Amino acid sequence: MTERREILRTEGLWKRYGKITAVAGMDLQVYNGEVYSFLGPNGSGKSTTVGMILGLVRPTKGRALVFGANMATHPWPALKKIGAVIETPAFYPYLSGWDNLRAIAIALGDVPNARIHEMLELVGLRERGGDPYKTYSLGMKQRLGIASTLLRDPDLIILDEPTNGLDPAGTREVRELIPQLARQGRTVFLCSHLLHEVQAVSDRVAIVKKGRMVAQGTVAELLGHGQYLQMRAADNDALARALGSVPFVSAVERVDGFVRATAPTDRASELNKILATQEIYLSELKPWDMDLESVFLDLTGEELGQETAV
Amino acid sequence: MTMQRLMWMEFFKLRKRMMTWVVAGVTIGLIILLYTIIWSISGKAGSFRDNGSIVFYSQLRRSLFLEAGVPFSLQIVATFGSLLAIILAAGAAGGEYSWGTVRLMATASSGRLRLIIARFIVVAGLVALLTLMTAIVALAYSAIITQTNGGSDFSFITVGFVKDQWLAYGRTLYVMLPFVSLAFAAAVIGRSTLAGVGFGLGVFFVEPLVSELMRVGGSRWQHVPNYLLSTNRNVILLQNKFPPYLPRFSFGPSARDLQQQGAYAPTGAAIILGVYIVVFLTLAFVAYRRRDITAGTGA
Repeated sequence: MTERREILRTEGLWKRYGKITAVAGMDLQVYNGEVYSFLGPNGSGKSTTVGMILGLVRPTKGRALVFGANMATHPWPALKKIGAVIETPAFYPYLSGWDNLRAIAIALGDVPNARIHEMLELVGLRERGGDPYKTYSLGMKQRLGIASTLLRDPDLIILDEPTNGLDPAGTREVRELIPQLARQGRTVFLCSHLLHEVQAVSDRVAIVKKGRMVAQGTVAELLGHGQYLQMRAADNDALARALGSVPFVSAVERVDGFVRATAPTDRASELNKILATQEIYLSELKPWDMDLESVFLDLTGEELGQETAV
Repeated sequence: MTMQRLMWMEFFKLRKRMMTWVVAGVTIGLIILLYTIIWSISGKAGSFRDNGSIVFYSQLRRSLFLEAGVPFSLQIVATFGSLLAIILAAGAAGGEYSWGTVRLMATASSGRLRLIIARFIVVAGLVALLTLMTAIVALAYSAIITQTNGGSDFSFITVGFVKDQWLAYGRTLYVMLPFVSLAFAAAVIGRSTLAGVGFGLGVFFVEPLVSELMRVGGSRWQHVPNYLLSTNRNVILLQNKFPPYLPRFSFGPSARDLQQQGAYAPTGAAIILGVYIVVFLTLAFVAYRRRDITAGTGA
């Protein structure tokens, strides 16, 4: 079991542009080896927060600490350990994919050419590595972005919509790559729109709205794991009425031929017994989890776009 | 080590960029073209007027010979080469914004200030290299002309002559630097190549006209041009030595004109240009270092 170390922390981070507040008191903690997803509708302050984490945007108030370095004043010690692809990757159009990585490698120092070949191989660009970047498809650009991120063998990887423009196979590869990176001991900070995919790869999730964090926790915590039971009986009306009188059931709702109760899942058999004493016999009873999309909708009141990102 | 690494990276990018080779090709091509034109028109007898002086075509032809090769070519580079240097500097600084690579490089390099300083050093170095290459090409052309037209005993090549050629090279570079710095700063502050090229070329062409208007404008304005770029540039360029038997072909006012206008002595002119270089670069460095980069193209 690896020791839990704090990799990234933001303390009361604010960013104002004139009268517009982009980020309002953001407090984040990200630990080593976890996949931390950062969700929010467009304009919620995600990119500004990432900009402050990378030292590209100066906070109006508060600070971002990455590997203990204050990113507004001394970002370089931390930047050496961070690989980041923010929004659409941008490279020099007249350089080949290989030359683009070479330019970054020179800037970073101590990155051998073999590592560049290795990264191009990893993202499936070995054959096209010599072609000018301007001839690449969006998917190839994204893959080169991921290669550049991994070039420096980073401890923290920041990915903003990393599968944007990738075909389904490419998307699957990246989705598989993310937990793989975390297993290697790297920390992944993921900004994404596709919630069911985030749910599949994330250890912890933060949801932001209008520059403020509205929820942060493990995926299970956010989904209310162990807090809901879904059931069905011959007479769902009677079932719902009966559930209303059970002391440990805090809420009841009817959804698509089921009755859903907010109740601890470890008390399912006890609930079944109580209902049976009232001559209500269940044909189905199972734990139920919310999905991230529902949580997101509840918390932000907004739907995410239909982008084909992770 | 860090600066060397960043400078090598900037050089790597510029070396691979077509624009660099186009600028080099145009500069060298321009020298060859001008030498060829001057050679072809200077064969006839007679004279013409340059800045009020009578110049014989035979004297113009002698400017293409080895003795005058370096200062004559540098005179051309100081004018036409400056335009290309402005484009090179603006492209190097502004391209990062139009491609959106400013963020990539800001997170890959050890400090924004180091990165922008390294970029400027490499641009200035390339301008110096281009100027040197142009002078070498001009010398080679002059050598051919000299050898095919009676040859030379090379007795003019003395330590003093060589020193003068290097000084001429240094002066030419120095007067180009304020325009290179201005284009660089404008591209960084305006976040585009166009801003750099626009400001650089605008000042290069419009400032001499404005200076003339100010001189005509009367006592309040007539001394202002002495603090501007073009006057001080001309003062310094006029220090480049030409063989005594040849007239000085200039693309600006003569030494006599400048003296009448109350222009500063060369040292004063160098200080004024130096102040411009420092101011332009400080603005560029401060803007690049302090400004938020909120998207690929900067905020």
